[in-house]
Amino acid sequence: MKKFKHILAACLTGVVMSSCSDSFLKLAPVSNPNAETFFKTKADFDLASNAAYATLYTIYNPEGPISYMGELMGDNVTILNISGNMADKWQFRDYTLAPANTMVYQFWQDFYRSLYNINIVISKVETSELEAASKDKIKGEMMFLRALYYFNMVQIWGDLPLVTAPITAAESYGVLRSPASEVYAQIVKDLQFAADKLPLASAAGVGKASKGAAQSLLGKVYLTMGDKTKAANTLKEVVNSGQYQLLPNYTSLWDPKNKNTKESIFEIQFLGGSSTAPFSDYYLGFFPNSNALGFYGSGMNQVVDDIWNEYETGDSRRVASIDTGFTDAKGVFTKVKFPKKWQDKTAPIIGQRIAANNNFMVLRYADVLLMLTEATGDAQYLNQVRKRVGLPEYGTAAYPSKYNSIELATEHERRVELAFEFHRWFDLKRTNRALTVLPSKGKAVTQAKLLIPIPNVVRDQNSKITQNAGY
Amino acid sequence: MKSFLSLKYLRYFCFIFLSFCFVQVFGQSKVISVKGKILDEAGKPVPGVSVVLKSTTTGTISNQDGLYSLPVPEDAILVFSSVSYESQEIAINKRSVIDVTLMPSNKILNEVVVVGYGTQSKRAVTGAVASINNKQFQDRSFSNVAQSLAGQVAGVNISQAQGAPGSSPFIKIRGVSSITAGTNPLLVVDGVPLENFNLNMINPQDIESVEVLKDASSAAIYGSRGSSGVIIVTTKLGKVGKTNVSANFEYGSQKVTRQIKMMDAQQFIRTYIDAKNNAWIDAGGKATDGNALRPTLLKIPEDFLTNPQQFGTGTNWQDVMFRVAPSYNGQISVSGGTEKTQYMFSGAYLDQTAVLDMNYYKRLALRSNIKTAVTDRLTVGLNLGVTTIFDRTEGTKGKSDVISLGLQSNPHFPVYNENGNLGYRDPNSTWFRFTAFGDMNLWHPYSLTREVDKGTKSFNTLGTAYLEYNILKNLKFRTSLSANLFNTRNHFYWNDKQKYGYSAVLAAQANAGNSYMLNWLSENTLTYDKQIGDHSFTGLVGYTSQKQRDETMYVAANNFPNDLVHTLNAGTVTAGNTTASEWSLLSYIARLQYNYNSRYFLTAAIRRDGMSRFGDNNKWGYFPSVSAGWLISDEAFMSDIKSINNLKLRVSYGVTGNNQIPNYGAISLLAASNYVYGGTMSNGLRVSNIANPNLKWEKTNMFNIGLDLGILNNRLSGSIEYYNSLTRDMLLFVPVPDITGFSSQLTNIGQMRNRGIELNISSKNVVGNFNWTTDFNFSRNRNKVLQLGPGNAPIQYVDNVVTVRTEVGQPVSNFYGYIFDGVFKNQAEIDAYPHHASTTPGDPKVRDVNGDGKITDADRTIIGNNQPDFIAGMTNTLSYKGFEFSFMLQGSYGGEIANNNIRYLGTWDNGRNFYASMYNYWRSESDPGDGIHFKPNVSYKGLQKQFSSYWVEDASFLRMKNIRLSYAIPSKLLNKIACKSARVYVNAENVFILTKYKDGYDPENTTYGTTTYSSSMETSGSYTSGNAPVPGAFQGVDYGSYPLPRVITVGIKADF
Repeated sequence: MKKFKHILAACLTGVVMSSCSDSFLKLAPVSNPNAETFFKTKADFDLASNAAYATLYTIYNPEGPISYMGELMGDNVTILNISGNMADKWQFRDYTLAPANTMVYQFWQDFYRSLYNINIVISKVETSELEAASKDKIKGEMMFLRALYYFNMVQIWGDLPLVTAPITAAESYGVLRSPASEVYAQIVKDLQFAADKLPLASAAGVGKASKGAAQSLLGKVYLTMGDKTKAANTLKEVVNSGQYQLLPNYTSLWDPKNKNTKESIFEIQFLGGSSTAPFSDYYLGFFPNSNALGFYGSGMNQVVDDIWNEYETGDSRRVASIDTGFTDAKGVFTKVKFPKKWQDKTAPIIGQRIAANNNFMVLRYADVLLMLTEATGDAQYLNQVRKRVGLPEYGTAAYPSKYNSIELATEHERRVELAFEFHRWFDLKRTNRALTVLPSKGKAVTQAKLLIPIPNVVRDQNSKITQNAGY
Repeated sequence: MKSFLSLKYLRYFCFIFLSFCFVQVFGQSKVISVKGKILDEAGKPVPGVSVVLKSTTTGTISNQDGLYSLPVPEDAILVFSSVSYESQEIAINKRSVIDVTLMPSNKILNEVVVVGYGTQSKRAVTGAVASINNKQFQDRSFSNVAQSLAGQVAGVNISQAQGAPGSSPFIKIRGVSSITAGTNPLLVVDGVPLENFNLNMINPQDIESVEVLKDASSAAIYGSRGSSGVIIVTTKLGKVGKTNVSANFEYGSQKVTRQIKMMDAQQFIRTYIDAKNNAWIDAGGKATDGNALRPTLLKIPEDFLTNPQQFGTGTNWQDVMFRVAPSYNGQISVSGGTEKTQYMFSGAYLDQTAVLDMNYYKRLALRSNIKTAVTDRLTVGLNLGVTTIFDRTEGTKGKSDVISLGLQSNPHFPVYNENGNLGYRDPNSTWFRFTAFGDMNLWHPYSLTREVDKGTKSFNTLGTAYLEYNILKNLKFRTSLSANLFNTRNHFYWNDKQKYGYSAVLAAQANAGNSYMLNWLSENTLTYDKQIGDHSFTGLVGYTSQKQRDETMYVAANNFPNDLVHTLNAGTVTAGNTTASEWSLLSYIARLQYNYNSRYFLTAAIRRDGMSRFGDNNKWGYFPSVSAGWLISDEAFMSDIKSINNLKLRVSYGVTGNNQIPNYGAISLLAASNYVYGGTMSNGLRVSNIANPNLKWEKTNMFNIGLDLGILNNRLSGSIEYYNSLTRDMLLFVPVPDITGFSSQLTNIGQMRNRGIELNISSKNVVGNFNWTTDFNFSRNRNKVLQLGPGNAPIQYVDNVVTVRTEVGQPVSNFYGYIFDGVFKNQAEIDAYPHHASTTPGDPKVRDVNGDGKITDADRTIIGNNQPDFIAGMTNTLSYKGFEFSFMLQGSYGGEIANNNIRYLGTWDNGRNFYASMYNYWRSESDPGDGIHFKPNVSYKGLQKQFSSYWVEDASFLRMKNIRLSYAIPSKLLNKIACKSARVYVNAENVFILTKYKDGYDPENTTYGTTTYSSSMETSGSYTSGNAPVPGAFQGVDYGSYPLPRVITVGIKADF
């Protein structure tokens, strides 16, 4: 019996010893960083704001929301064969969008996921121990991005759930659509902060949002809100800052060797040459849906003859912007028009994709100049843009007579100057020309269809979210 | 491995060592002579009873008068055993005369059943446990023992989702108990609980028995991992007696007997032309217009119009990729033992060629099980299984894998072009003319099978070392240490240009991967048996700890100079990464089994589990259970009712859990999201999921009541069960509003119920020289979601367009879409019925479900569910002398299957081939076709690409699962060759199937696996697999699958 006691004691000790090990159960992830210890240092916030900038890759993707809205719903392009759910993609082109459209939901998710990445930095930096200057710069950059996204979203959907800080799932059910005016108020507030706190382009750092970027965007926001005076004042500050100028050669604007030029105001940064770096997908995305050349084009934004014909005789921008076909391995030429601006002839093909190095300009000085003409009615800004490509100035006899008002001249100039840069549909909407221009190009568009539907998944989850009229 | 060296384990091993020191050898005692008479119930003497001194081989046999005598130590124990009687053990206690009355054995009740942490006689089972022994699957040609359970066990739905060699079946025990957490049952191999273990690693012929713990009281001893049921696999151990050498050889032949009927070249060309013309006519053109007038998308190859006959019937790509494939399987095992030591050694080799070109499956399995009594008190043992699998398996990954791509390929292309190349992209071939059309499709199967060098090598070692020590006569201590070490390596090399057979002409590329898993388990239990009069008790307490680490590695390369060297050193490495992930589990267990007079049984158990996966606030959970049994037929008042041999009532209630969530599901993780500044890449980190420190166990409470009955001398026996289970705090990736920045969050929410009945009947229809038995089982399960997340919002997942929706009041994962009521035959029909704006004659007629006169999203409704209304199986066995013939029917009724391939093959999809079944489509008002298939159209009309009843088919089936014929060679023939017994047999699996599923290979096909969370998903920050957001929710969605071949095997088995 004594023996038994010994064994039992040994046994129990064994049990007790091993059980004193809550640490045995507390396992931290081995291959993932863990959010619990994050958002403390300046380095943490740099990493987090880099991730916020990286959301630009999604939003401004060649198959992202701005591309679909800016070009496909306009009159510059079409899509034929395209990979993925073709029927849903055609709905944008044809103005037959249904709330069940999977792309519409995808875009909704893209925007709000991106906004989370921005909002969390803003809210965490607020309470951090970073010095005030660092705080302001980080906040300013993030608010620029937030304004950029909400500005696009409010034009796409109208009234929106306005989320400006991380919210829990439970809280989210109470966040319904705010009127568009409130969304615009938030955009203006964010951009004013950014314009106030961010340094000039020369001091902001390559690729970072700058004072000029905030002001340029704010100018566009004012134009869209219909306040031409404020727009003109804000845009003139950009001109007067002396930070920007037009490049002499239009074609070189997208040259991968010629990034972040004096004309560029806000530019999305890519790095070509390797599958591990974020390379530029634009040329590939717009290449016809073919793999004749060893890479797989997506077939997005195929150029229609309507814009081909919009270019004036002798406008070099047409050749710079539109490719007219490609030659396959056997030397057979296929005639098809597609956007050319982001071609990188030296890029390697990696896994059926071209690892191109071109950047993408969200805002550039030509856009600012044309907006200034739109805001002031003064053709001098527009004429700077025309002079670069050697076309006759507005107001001279050689100027094409069919654009017989400064409004039509601006519309024409914006279309060809900014072709395929995701501006067209937004421009037509802003100038209230969409319902005149688009139906004449065979688009079944109505006032209601100028806003896309709220995805039905969103309303299935929260029935208090309203639907746009017409869906 | 670090933990092994920690102080804790040092102490642990010291403790084991000490245990040895306490071992004491029994002293010698005086030898006396014992004699006696052995009688049966009626008082008649029983001759031939073996009387053996326990734990020795010394003994004697009773004579004609039932008398025996032998010299024995005065304190020894005698074991009395005979075939038709229950064995008895009697302590001598210095007596010299011991008379014994033997009771006839009730075989069924005395079969031993393995339960968690011990065994029980069937008599004492109070829960719902199904047991299958080796004899029931010994001749079946399966690599995975779970496959042989299909159709044999009520309440267990085993479906073979993919027919590739080595593909594990999906096992669902009593329905689905979770929506987004894993639903795989826990596998326990020789006492080692293993999550997501691949049972192919255990050679089925090494397995003695498989037990399925179905109810919560049986499974609760496995606590947190029991809610999807538990499957216990026990490997063989030799029996006391002469060494047995057993050899077995099989040859098999596999064939795909059910091809999907695809259009031939002529049908395809006509459909292709019609699809283009229909679109062109819609756009205002005429069918007769030439290509010059048409947009690119609507141009038609001139060959199709001017001379389609040149293509003949074209190529049936299924004939190209499938072949009749042989398999060889051989094994030898040696088993035997003495009272002290038992052993079983085996080696088996399976060499299976797959029906799919170039695919194969080879397995070498070695096993050594040994157990020895070091002293009367101390027993040690080691079970060690080492398995190596070399395989190449393709075609199971769905739409972009070989088989599906073969179906999608155009039939007018030849197997080889005039240059001996595979495809039309060959620039030196006349076929190159087709590259001018963007909608020609060819993924030549050979470009993926013969132009690719790939394979997987897996190595698994599963070992359990144990020590049992009888501290007191009734008190046993057992400790065991187990390890499962799994390594797998795969390589892939794709030849340059693929002989132009693929959809693109690609440069050579290669990759290699490696994964490693180590799972170790330490278990310590104390068992105490006590008999006080008619009361008998068994108590168990234990403590276990288990930990697993997974690691992965991946490297990719391109830029190979030529195809001579396929290893990555020949190219330039372009990508590589490694990951690791861990989990750990600590458990306390306790169980008390009580019975009174072997007639009233009571079991109570509790397990306390703590696991690393759960939130800091809720790591621990309790899992209690209680069950009772009453053997009514042993009651005195039943003794007059001779016709009832066995009647037993069982009732149980218990709580089990589910822990199958990602390892770090409770923690907010960061994922890489990099950005570039001025030509330099800068690292970025984003939050990839929301933390939930309150994350806790999903729990299932289950009530079970069962009745066992045996009548007419057990000629007819059976059981019936009813269960009702409620799962709560479901571990759910709840879709949350996207405005949070996330689309789902892992949280405990919602309730779901499963209830059902199970019926087993076994009948000996004819006994004698000719025997005929029938075993039948039937089960039905009803699943209903009772509560979901905030506002009970339905949970919806979409893959392509196939939508599965889970909502309150419905079974989990309904198919959700439009209802198609055939085809609009003419404009008048369209005008008379609500229709989608784009509709023209010949387009689908979509039902206006809500009756609002419009066709909108709101007209989507429930159009099916994969869960069957009931499943059943029946096995008939007939035997005469040495012959035995059996056949098994397996059926499933009332489920639906969603055919996601309709996207590619059932509608126009950029020129892919079509199902032959749709050829009778609407062509004109005067040629309206079968009224089901709408006209093909390049520009889709009327929601034909939306998920609808057109995509959903009845998945009910009746399958002749197995036919078997064996012949035992008479022993007089065998004696000459020193052979104890030998059998030859023929076995056929998947003989035929009756099903309405016409456009798929098999109604059991499911492209996505059950939900599991792998470590690679962790590190990518996304818990998705393929296109399906939650694979388990897409059970019953066929998005390209591997057919189940018919397998015919002949074999011989001999014992020496």
